[in-house]
Amino acid sequence: MPKVTYTDHTGESRIVEANVGDSVMETAVRSGVPGIVAECGGSLSCATCHVYVDEAGLASLPPRAEMEDEMLWGTAEDRRDNSRLSCQLRVTDGCDLRVTTPATQV
Amino acid sequence: MTSTRTLAGTASACPVHHGYEPFDQDDPFPSYAALRAQEPVMFDERIGYWVVSRYDDIKAVFEDWETFSSENAQAPVRERGPQARQIMEEGGFTAYSGLSARVPPEHTRIRKVAAKAFTPRRFKVLEPEIRANVVRLIEAMLARPERRGDLVRDLAHDLPTITILTLIGADVDKIGTFKRWSDSRSAMTWGDLSDDEQVPHARNLVDYWAECRRLVAEAHETAPDSLVGDMVRMQAEGDPISDHEIASVCYSLLFAGHETTTTLISNALRVLLSHPEQWQCVVEDTGRIPAAVDEVLRYSPSIVGWRRRALRDTEIGGVAIPKGADILLLMGSANRDESRFEHGEAFDISRPNAREHLSFGFGIHYCLGNMLAKLQTRIALEEVARLAPGLRLADHADIHFGHNLSFRAPAAVPVTWED
Ligand code: HEM
Ligand code: FES
Repeated sequence: MPKVTYTDHTGESRIVEANVGDSVMETAVRSGVPGIVAECGGSLSCATCHVYVDEAGLASLPPRAEMEDEMLWGTAEDRRDNSRLSCQLRVTDGCDLRVTTPATQV
Repeated sequence: MTSTRTLAGTASACPVHHGYEPFDQDDPFPSYAALRAQEPVMFDERIGYWVVSRYDDIKAVFEDWETFSSENAQAPVRERGPQARQIMEEGGFTAYSGLSARVPPEHTRIRKVAAKAFTPRRFKVLEPEIRANVVRLIEAMLARPERRGDLVRDLAHDLPTITILTLIGADVDKIGTFKRWSDSRSAMTWGDLSDDEQVPHARNLVDYWAECRRLVAEAHETAPDSLVGDMVRMQAEGDPISDHEIASVCYSLLFAGHETTTTLISNALRVLLSHPEQWQCVVEDTGRIPAAVDEVLRYSPSIVGWRRRALRDTEIGGVAIPKGADILLLMGSANRDESRFEHGEAFDISRPNAREHLSFGFGIHYCLGNMLAKLQTRIALEEVARLAPGLRLADHADIHFGHNLSFRAPAAVPVTWED
């Protein structure tokens, strides 16, 4: 099964089994991972699902679409080069993605 | 008032509807609690809506946009009278909704363009200007020798209105006019007006819509650096959106963009000042303001009820709902549902999950302006805490809320202060 590792800002990690086609945000919310708020439920309107993706994973992801990039200017913790909105990231077959959540989403 | 016994033994004005009065906004919360406990999905024949009051049911309806359409979200609750209809027809009023009552695929297409124009970068640059406006308004209030003010009139009325007019590129000197048009839109759509009462409001809506179309026509001529200018440019570059649709988005933003933020700022100060110990916490540590704003949104949402329509036979919380049924989702009730919020009736800025409120809706129609609304309210609270930490509600302030199905807005928030 594909999996996603969520590490919080203190360094604590959780590994969650994911379903192909779900978003990285949905996967987190369903298993109660703290650190991802996702107020708007994935409609690209809140920027509270912000994550930093680890280098290896970054290359495997499709690049940000224009609106994801725009919304990343609205995050609570400043964006970095590896910032993504997790509601826009789809879990694919065999993926083993590692993301870090920011200290705050709001 | 004689008290009557309901199933749970609580006193209420109308046992049939558990005390719920659709247009009464002074204190709807006891009736919400009774509805949640006794009839969480209730058909209210007085308005023709199925009234839904539990958190999980409301969130599920918001999420399932394929079954529950928002096409009725802007329909007049009380049918338009013949005079109003004639005025609007003759005045060329053809607006219905910018976004909230549109459905996919049309909604998806227009929302994409509106969202691209309305980005965080667009409004974040206004932060210093918003802050300067708050300071100017508060200082003007504090300069009054009688040491009395009204936070609705003196602060909340103008602040978000200036911001949205600036963003849209409309005339900032016409705050009064735009507010009057918005009040008319609110009353005509969600109010309980007689045919005669509708007439002046119908005239206002004609003027309001004419201004929206004028703004689009003007943007074609002058290519301004504004939201309207951006949308017109996107259209020229091939984004599929018509002039009528751009004008409709303006019609939407020139209402949604200030009305509910005026209410949020008013409510934030009203509720915090009526909990002086929590106001003190905010004054001592302004870092707590964002959480306080979320708790105000939960506890006292600007919009307490929003509408959907069932597109097929379905069910909500185990109650059969027929195809075509109109549904009223009481977010004001969801936000206090004990199954989600412990001690839901208590205001507590340290509540860990206040953000789970449904005050901005949920799903594909989730409020486009949520970040701008919170940004402005945060700045307003920061500056009031700094400039007027000793503010308090005026003694015997008897605060009332306008008669409306959806919008719960205080008419005034009277305050006073020591020198
Ligand atoms: C406290 C302030 C506000 C509250 C409580 C609020 C609440 C809401 C709610 C409940 C909805 C319907 C969501 C749904 O059907 O799921 C909505 C939609 C919307 N809001 Fe807000 N709003 C606020 C401020 C704003 C601001 C400042 C703007 C714009 C500048 C705005 C623009 C919109 C638009 C365009 C929609 C329709 C979105 C769509 O249908 O796709 N709102 N808002
Ligand atoms: S969940 Fe709101 S932007 Fe991702």
